[in-house]
Formats: sequence, structure tokens, C-alpha cells
Amino acid sequence: MQSLRKLLADVDQLLRGRFTRREDLIEARIQIPIRSLVLAGILLGAVYGVFMGLYAVLRGGDGSTAQLLTTAAKVPLLFLLTLAVTFPSLYVLSALAGSRLLAPDTLRLLLGALAVNLALLASLGPVTGFFTLSTSSYAFMVVLNVLFFTVSGLVGLVFLGRALEGLFAPAAPREPVVAIEETLEQADDEEHADDPETETDAAQPPPTLRVPRNGQRLARRIFFTWTVVFAIVGAQMGWILRPFIGAPGQPFQLFRARESSFFESFFKSLVNLFS
Amino acid sequence: MFRNVEGLLRSTGRYAIAAPRVPWTHLLLLLAAGGFLYGAAMGFYGARALQSFYSGLKVPLLLIVTSAVCLPNFFVVNTLLGLREDFASAFRGVLAAQATMAVALASLAPITLWAYASSSDHDLAVLLNGVLFLVAALVGQVTLSRHYRPLISRDPRHRVGKAVWVTLYMFVAVQLAWVLRPFVGHPSMQVEFFREDAWSNAYVAVFRHFWNFFT
Repeated sequence: MQSLRKLLADVDQLLRGRFTRREDLIEARIQIPIRSLVLAGILLGAVYGVFMGLYAVLRGGDGSTAQLLTTAAKVPLLFLLTLAVTFPSLYVLSALAGSRLLAPDTLRLLLGALAVNLALLASLGPVTGFFTLSTSSYAFMVVLNVLFFTVSGLVGLVFLGRALEGLFAPAAPREPVVAIEETLEQADDEEHADDPETETDAAQPPPTLRVPRNGQRLARRIFFTWTVVFAIVGAQMGWILRPFIGAPGQPFQLFRARESSFFESFFKSLVNLFS
Repeated sequence: MFRNVEGLLRSTGRYAIAAPRVPWTHLLLLLAAGGFLYGAAMGFYGARALQSFYSGLKVPLLLIVTSAVCLPNFFVVNTLLGLREDFASAFRGVLAAQATMAVALASLAPITLWAYASSSDHDLAVLLNGVLFLVAALVGQVTLSRHYRPLISRDPRHRVGKAVWVTLYMFVAVQLAWVLRPFVGHPSMQVEFFREDAWSNAYVAVFRHFWNFFT
């Protein structure tokens, strides 16, 4: 109970942006334990999963409770597995682009964005639950869930984008950091005189304190590549982990046979809604 | 009672925007009373007392359940926007707006009764109630804006919080209103609290309607 309260307090601080303040990001620090972030992700995802799996329970039949439980497990799994699969490439991409975050901090940042995403999703849970109680249309539930996943995913992305911007923002006017920045600029200028192509140099300050001058462009580049990689893997991961809602008339299965794709199915649901 | 209504409509006294204590109970009572009065009038179509009573219960239910369903999201969105310190003020605003809507509805009740007395057309009755609900919702927006003005001037991000609340609230309220049918009650149909076949989806029904219309 005590640890749950501590966990919720951590999530609260995360949502308030206390872990992603500019001063901390400038120094490439994100001070929240990875364990709390993972636990928070599991808990929040499970909350939404319960509301999502309610559809199967109300429909009744064999394995409806099993569907509820597996959906509660699958929603957090969807996000965490996607991150597990993509993290190495995301880290390599960002390190190549010149991110100052080391691997553990990069993981914290990404987990933090996922936790924000899942917190918003969990907060939409009652709405999903309400529509589940009052609607029998399977197609509508599919479209509604995709809509909520999209909206909360976008908010998670905004959080991530802000944090990346902070990470690459010019240092705040504080004595030591300014000094480093000045030497950096001088070093950069000297470099440019020699060879405009080379960016890195062994003579530069430690990598954790490096502030690239074209930071905003780098932040955007990292953000874009991360989003594309994560979204593609995430959509497919969601497809592999089906069923989440449980289509009426189909028996309970832990996983369905591999077939077709996420995009094809979503389009079909949209068409069904209108006919 | 009337002093409370005055205070709510003018945002003075207990209902002042910056009042130190939020009058939760008073707001909820006004909401329930106003909603019940209008609901009772709305259900009085065809002079059926039981339907009138049911509809009276349903209108406050509609407002309160919709708020409850949307509240977790409102909380998280406000926190994410960094507006957590203002959450009590923001929630006071949305609750006061709904109390205002209920009071506005109650003030429109005589019009409904007058319309029922002058015409027995069921479609007209449904349409009229729809229009009056819309009017009352807009009146509620006045109170909402009044509460949000100081918040927005403090932090413009409150604009986003308000927009998210209004959007989600309408999305849920439309479906809940659909589920809670009948409000007016068709004279040829039995008086009942819930319609047996009402557990469908408002949006699907409207889409189907349009789809059938165009194809």
C-alpha cells in the first residue's frame, strides 16, 4: 500500500513535468527509477485494459473473464514489448545524432513518455467503460479504442518532444554551464576554420555536458526517427497481441493466427461502421 | 433557494469565482433541483405522471454521470498541462457551469409545458426539447467562461483544458442521453425508465441514418 502510494506520487510528479525540468535536462539527468516507471506503466496499462476487456465480459460466453484478464495484461505488454524491441535502435539512432543522454537516461526518458501516454489512456478508461456498457456495436468499440490510443499516443509524443527540446536547448544562464558553452562555441569556431565537416573532437568537454549548437534541428531529427520506428513496430505489435476486445462470435484465444495487418483491419472496421 | 439561484447566475456571494470555499453541496443541489424540474416538464408530454417523474430523475443523472465519466481525464489533462494547482478552481468552474445549465433548463420548463399544451405533435416535442437543451448548454458556457477567464489570463494553457473537457463531455453526454431514452415518451409506447432496445449507440445510429440517406 505504501509503495503503491509512492508509485502514484512518482507518476504525479512525472505528469507535472518535475522529472523533465530544463535544468535537469541540460545536465542530461532524469531522476526517476526505471523500476517505478515500468511498474507505473504496467499498472496504468492494466487499468485501461480492464475497461477495454469489459466488452468480452458483457458479451458473456466461454472465456470472457479470461479475455478481460489477458487484455489487462496485454495493454501494458504492448507498450513495454515495443520499447524492448525498439530501444537498442532508438538509442543508437539518438547517440549517432549527438544526444547527450546515456543509455539509462534515454531509457528513462522513453519510459517516462510511455507512462504519460498510459496515464492519459487510463484516464480515458471510464469513457471506454461507459461506451462498452451502452453499446453493442463491435465496430464502434474498435474505432473508439483506436481513437483513444491515438490521442494518448500523440500526447505522449508531445511530452517526449518537449523533453528532447529541453535536452538540446541552449544552456540556462548559470555560471558553470555558460562557461562551458562559451568554450564550446570557441572550439566549434576553431573546428569550422579547420574542417567544416567534422563535428566531434577529443579535446571537447565530457560528452554529458556537450550542447550542440544546432540543437533544435537535432532534437527534431531524433524525435522524428524515434516516432517512425516506434509507431511502425507498435502497430504491428498490437496486431500480433490480438485479440484485445474480443470480436463477438469468435472463441477466446490467447493470440490469434497471424494474418493480414493492422491497417487493413482498421479500414474494414471503418467501412463496417457505415454500412 | 432564489438567493442561491441569484448568486449562481451572477457569480456572487457563495458562488463568487474567488470564494474561499467551493460550494460543492449547493452546486449539486441546484443541479439536481433544476434538472429535475425541467425533466419533469419534459416528461409531462401526454400528461403522464410516471414518465414525468422518470424524466425528472434522468436529467440530473445525465449531467452527473457524464461529469463522473469525464472527470479522471480532466484531472490527468490538467496535470499534464501543468495546471494542477488550479484544478479545484477549474472543477468548480465546470460544476458551476452545469448547475447554471440546470437552472437555465428549469427556467425554460414553462415554455415546454406551454408547447405541450398548444400542440400534441410528438416530433415537434422532441425537436423543441433538443433546441432548449442546446440553449441551456450555451447559457452554461457563460458561467464556464466567467470562471475560466482569470484562469486563462494566469496561464493560457487553461484554454486547452477547457476545450478538452467540453469536447469529451459532449461526446459522452450525447451517448448517455441516447441510452437514457425515453425523455419525452411516445404516447403509443409504454411508460418505462429505460427502453429495452435503448442499449445501442447514438453515433452508430446517426451514421447509419446518414449512410442510408445517401445510398
